[in-house]
Amino acid sequence: MSAQVDRTDASAGLPAHPERATMEGRNKVLGFWLLLGAETVMFACFFGTYLALRGSSMDGPTTQELYQIPMVALSTVILLTSSLTSVIGVHGMHQNNYKKMMFWFGVTVLLGLSFLGLEIYEFVEYVHEGHTFTGSAFGSAFYTLLGTHGAHVLFGVTWITTLMIQARKRGLNLDMAPKFYLASLYWHFVDVVWVFIFTVVYLMGKVS
Amino acid sequence: MEANTQPTQAQTGKQDSGLKYVASFALMILLTAVAFAAVAMNIVPQGWVIPLILVLAAVQVFLQLFTFMHLDLKKDAVTVSFMVTGLFIGVVCAVAVAILV
Amino acid sequence: MATIVVLIVFALFLGAILTGGYNKQMLARFRSHWLWDWITTVDHKKIGILYLIGGTIFFVIGGIEALLMRTQLFYPNNDFMVGRTFNELLSMHGTTMIFFVAMPLLFALMNAVIPLQIGARDVAFPFLNALGFWLFLCGGLLMNLSWIFGNAPDSGWTNYVPIALNEYSAGTGIDYYVLGLQISGIGTLIGGLNFIVTIINMRTPGMSFLRMPLFTWTSFVSSALILFGFPPLTAGLFLVMFDRLFGANFFDVAAGGNPVIWQHLFWIFGHPEVYIVILPAFGIMSEVISTFAKKRLFGYTSMVFATLLIGFLGFMVWVHHMFTVGMGPVANSIFAIATMAIAVPTGIKVFNWLFTLWGGKIRFTTAMLYAVGFIPTFVLGGVTGVMLASPPGDYQYHDSYFVVAHFHYVLIGGTVFGILAGVYYWWPKMFGYLLNEKLGKLNFWLFFIGFHMTFFIQHFLGLFGMPRRVFTYQPEDQVELINQISTVGAFLQAVAVVVLVINVIYSYRNRVPAGNDPWDGRTLEWTITSPPPVYNFAQLPKVRALDAFWHEKMNGKKELEPAEPVGPIHMPNNTHLPFLMSLAFFVSGLGFVFRSNEVGALGLIFVFLVMFMRSFEQDHGYHIETDEIEKTEKGASV
Repeated sequence: MSAQVDRTDASAGLPAHPERATMEGRNKVLGFWLLLGAETVMFACFFGTYLALRGSSMDGPTTQELYQIPMVALSTVILLTSSLTSVIGVHGMHQNNYKKMMFWFGVTVLLGLSFLGLEIYEFVEYVHEGHTFTGSAFGSAFYTLLGTHGAHVLFGVTWITTLMIQARKRGLNLDMAPKFYLASLYWHFVDVVWVFIFTVVYLMGKVS
Repeated sequence: MEANTQPTQAQTGKQDSGLKYVASFALMILLTAVAFAAVAMNIVPQGWVIPLILVLAAVQVFLQLFTFMHLDLKKDAVTVSFMVTGLFIGVVCAVAVAILV
Repeated sequence: MATIVVLIVFALFLGAILTGGYNKQMLARFRSHWLWDWITTVDHKKIGILYLIGGTIFFVIGGIEALLMRTQLFYPNNDFMVGRTFNELLSMHGTTMIFFVAMPLLFALMNAVIPLQIGARDVAFPFLNALGFWLFLCGGLLMNLSWIFGNAPDSGWTNYVPIALNEYSAGTGIDYYVLGLQISGIGTLIGGLNFIVTIINMRTPGMSFLRMPLFTWTSFVSSALILFGFPPLTAGLFLVMFDRLFGANFFDVAAGGNPVIWQHLFWIFGHPEVYIVILPAFGIMSEVISTFAKKRLFGYTSMVFATLLIGFLGFMVWVHHMFTVGMGPVANSIFAIATMAIAVPTGIKVFNWLFTLWGGKIRFTTAMLYAVGFIPTFVLGGVTGVMLASPPGDYQYHDSYFVVAHFHYVLIGGTVFGILAGVYYWWPKMFGYLLNEKLGKLNFWLFFIGFHMTFFIQHFLGLFGMPRRVFTYQPEDQVELINQISTVGAFLQAVAVVVLVINVIYSYRNRVPAGNDPWDGRTLEWTITSPPPVYNFAQLPKVRALDAFWHEKMNGKKELEPAEPVGPIHMPNNTHLPFLMSLAFFVSGLGFVFRSNEVGALGLIFVFLVMFMRSFEQDHGYHIETDEIEKTEKGASV
């Protein structure tokens, strides 16, 4: 079975899992997973800090007064959808379908940008309500956690865009495939962090 | 390049079909909706809301890891063990920093 | 104004680099210089040497700081280095020795040896390997610049808040600490990640996990600890940086902050850190003892599992640094028990070394002397560790010289002895000639006696009540004699280090080629020439057992069976981008230290710019052709 697949793939230009076809690709995938493991711990520390300080809102608004559930729900849907679109992009890469890959990664970038827009809008809102970075320990912890996540989204958007520019010039090959694969892994990771943010920050902030 | 971009017969309809992504995406949306509903509406007993949404989040993370991110317990045993260690240490850190201050 | 000047210089710099330099001739001269070769190298053997040089320079700096402190403590009421200066010395000594000496020197050995031990031609990410080194160097330099510009970090290597906040530590001192460690921390993380991937993916055919030499194993676990241990430090340093530079309130109690968060984050990193520096030393000891006892390492498998267990438990014990914070008896007891549990796998290791020595054909070379000296010394440090692990005891010992004695026994008696043993053992492999044994033994005895003289007596100093980190004491405290003995010991260690330097110079002047296998070794690195050719193995070796080379020797063979035919070898190209990127990080760090956020941000932008340049670069490396390999191999055998 697998031999047959290899042959048909070879005729199409790329093997079935182009991201792991070369030693370099295998190293990159493993190394990137390790990096994500390290990032998990870093985010966990920011989450712990947030949880420890979320009650210290001082004169500013508390979590319950501040958070708007509909807006968070919208951000969540956008980011979850972008996770799906990026995996479809990778699926396109596995099918050796250049156009499909580029299209869905493009959609991912757009969704990422709209998420960022929403987040900036949200932050501006909060600042107007008196929830600032320097105002209280809660503010510092909130903006550090959310800001780090937002910076990751921004980096992901820039990264995927860069890769798309490269792919336009070079097409899809054994060099580009691991890059796209890693970018999509990164994007899913950003989404995973968001799952915890909407649960631990927003929803738990509304409960207690 | 044009010729190269056409999917071949053998690839379409293999086990790696797009359907499973859509299915797990639907599941994620469902889990998220349940979590939001549990908080917004008074359908879950007071003390159970936080544990419930945390469990939902954890389930969703594993969905991401094993479907969207293509982790495979057998093929990527090393990666999975590093990732699980990272998650474990992360949880220990977060809980300790949150509680022991 | 200053900002504008910096901006203009920066823009010119950027333009020059992006356009490939305005003066092509100058550029060509630049590129043919030998220094350019070292700046752009991605060869793990050269990077290992760079780490060795960098670590040694910082070792000298940190050592001088220690000598100055011991001189101040020679007499009661001495006024040689008092107050803030003393605080700066002790903070810089601790930070330098841990981050810029112990870790880079271990990285030096890991870089030089691991790829050879697992039969690889290179590490998994040569580019990142170079980047890791340059980031470490930039971080170290940034921090030590504080001596030149005044205002060095003065809150101890633990940098506890709120002492480290603007209110109590005004000026730029702590900023050097925060940014220097942040930059070098990124480098360390990258280095650790690189070794993990190298060890998992690049092993030669037959080199299964349970055939890996123990140094590779311990470095593997140590790298995993780096991977999960450094992110908490990164997070914590961010918090301190935001508090100091951008007015955040993480640790300001008046605004609802909590200083204990820093203590947690620091020690969640800090405790794994001590295992990060001790585990590779354990590995070196295992290699040295087994080689010079001419025996297979006793209980190899139990050694591996003990290493893994120590690595895992190392993450679950950090609170024992914080027993006196007041988290209550439940938390303290749990972490006390976890801490004591670490003594079990460590004990397994000690007994395994003793049983390896038992009945062996022992040769007391310098490396072996260090290994044998290490065992009782480290056990002493371990025993005081168990004493400190008991909370009621810890309340008594806390912040006294007893603690100082304890961690110097572990860090010098463990890590530094390990590094020195490793240096004597692998020096011929790294440089092609042996270090002089007579000078080496002199070096060992001076260092060994000086070390115990300095620190053994400090246990009693602590029990008599002298607190650590104080710059003087009174005559009626009756600790003068003990302090004087300790100071004399410190200078004896300094003499030992001078002997080591003389040894390096003397041995270089009188060098004779060491040959492939000067110690009658057991592992793969001794099967190839010293120093190895750039591609390490002309043909990847086929490993058939643990101690692969020894196995072949016992079967009457001189070398390992190759696992592949001779063919062109793929190698990575040299690149200057890691250096450039680290430079940008350095500029950014310096900008933030001087509270010029524009420069800081610009530096970061430049970092990302280099990153994207790298992404667009199509660098496929080059191939070494078969006839060239054959020529090199023939030259080596003649």
